[in-house]
Amino acid sequence: MTTCPPNGAGEVTAPVDPVPVEDRLRAIQSITDAALSRLSDHALLDELLDRTREALQADTAAVLLLDSPSGQLIATAAAGLEEEVSQGVRVPVGRGFAGKIAAERRPVILEDVSHSDVLNPILRTKGIHSMVGVPMVAGDRVIGVLHIGSLTHREFTGEDVELLQLAADRAAVAVQSIAAQANRVAAEALQRSLVPSALPAVPGAELAGRYIPGSGSVGGDWYDVFTLSTGELCVVTGDVAGSGLPAAVIMGRMRSALRAYALESRDPGEVLARLDRKMQHFEPEALATVLYAIIDPALDRMQVASAGHPPPAMACPGQPAELIDIVNGPMIGISSGAQRPLNTVKIPPGALLCFYTDGLVERRGEPIDVGMARLCRALAAELPDAACAAVMGALVGSEPARDDIALLILRRQPTGC
Amino acid sequence: MTDAGFTVDVIGGVPVVRAPEDVDIVNADGLRAALAHAAGLQAPHGALVVDMARTEFCDTAGLHALVAAHKRARTGGGQLLLVIGGAAVVRVFSITGLDRVIPHVTSLEQALERIGVAKGG
Repeated sequence: MTTCPPNGAGEVTAPVDPVPVEDRLRAIQSITDAALSRLSDHALLDELLDRTREALQADTAAVLLLDSPSGQLIATAAAGLEEEVSQGVRVPVGRGFAGKIAAERRPVILEDVSHSDVLNPILRTKGIHSMVGVPMVAGDRVIGVLHIGSLTHREFTGEDVELLQLAADRAAVAVQSIAAQANRVAAEALQRSLVPSALPAVPGAELAGRYIPGSGSVGGDWYDVFTLSTGELCVVTGDVAGSGLPAAVIMGRMRSALRAYALESRDPGEVLARLDRKMQHFEPEALATVLYAIIDPALDRMQVASAGHPPPAMACPGQPAELIDIVNGPMIGISSGAQRPLNTVKIPPGALLCFYTDGLVERRGEPIDVGMARLCRALAAELPDAACAAVMGALVGSEPARDDIALLILRRQPTGC
Repeated sequence: MTDAGFTVDVIGGVPVVRAPEDVDIVNADGLRAALAHAAGLQAPHGALVVDMARTEFCDTAGLHALVAAHKRARTGGGQLLLVIGGAAVVRVFSITGLDRVIPHVTSLEQALERIGVAKGG
């Protein structure tokens, strides 16, 4: 009843019966079973570990996922080794059993855990004798490690490793899907909280805003409207390069920093300079366009500075809309000490101002001016909600936007014309 | 090397990345890879050229990759020189103010001349 694996060296091992071909096929089938896909991703990972353990006649199975910022593998799911997850086991890449698998991107077999370089004490206290682990790879990146263990001595075969790799590939897909879903949900929640659809009530002005995520995933576009204690009305539009959660997080930091600097300085160019300095110090990889405008309490004059942002458009009653001719400074994040000139714009009664991000006007295969001209044709000095609808209808239509779009429209009430 | 439409050649000792017609979120990773590859071929304190003469569309993702490479080159004491010609690209560089930050010319010949590479070298 005691046998050796086909490639064993003849030493006596724990009883692991030779597995007939049909059982192997069944094992592969259980791991690649399409029915697994119908489970939620978290349930899929747990079910996959159970099936892996069963198919490979192992006592334990565990998944550790790579946390890129820290360079550590974190125990995320386990079967027969739940302590790893509940105790939050972490292993640095390059060290220990799992760390070596991730660093070298290849399977590692430990026939005798007690005589090897294992970092995680749980593996020893649990009494695991032999282990094999494989890397989980997505695209060309290692995203984690899947390992199984046996409480008795066992010599894992090449077939065991292949089957385990199959399970790891399956797990990698599930994990990618969990991560993408979690990022999407978090980014959407962040966007919703930072780009509110409800805008402040400002006497003498009417406001409307729209935010449309690009290609189904949110990014780093935002608009913001707030008043200062002096009665001035401040308007911000910005666009952080990148997409998904990383861009949304940077957007949140920029929005909040700009609000803080707005309380300190009444010069839009100075506010952008401080924002730029802060970003280059704390987020040196970040790149963004930002337009910041301070509108007088009487709503008749706007002072605006732009860090590489497309110019706003203005529609006066009875006249075609035009782009506001402003002198830009460079984007946030490209050069230290950059200056952004102050532009002063008169706002006649009834005039409508349109602030937006490039997703609204930029189309592949045409210069951005064509999109801007289209925007001007769609814009009229009407109620901001109607103007938003007209602009979105003319520039976006039924086509899903590739890039994020943020649109903010403000009208100075026509009373007193 | 070719990746997502980007090629890297070395002309007279200067690495030159050639960009395709569209540089956007779809192939920005390809541009990053090409720029990293070219930076590896760059002489210490030397120049790196990104030839976007053919490029008709460049979105923020493309700009992001170029800015990162520009900063890397500058930190290393070298420089990144851009070739831009398409009206749409020139306009985007003007709006974003990148035209005042990243040195640029309108043809590869001009770029090589400015760096001091002999014609045909």
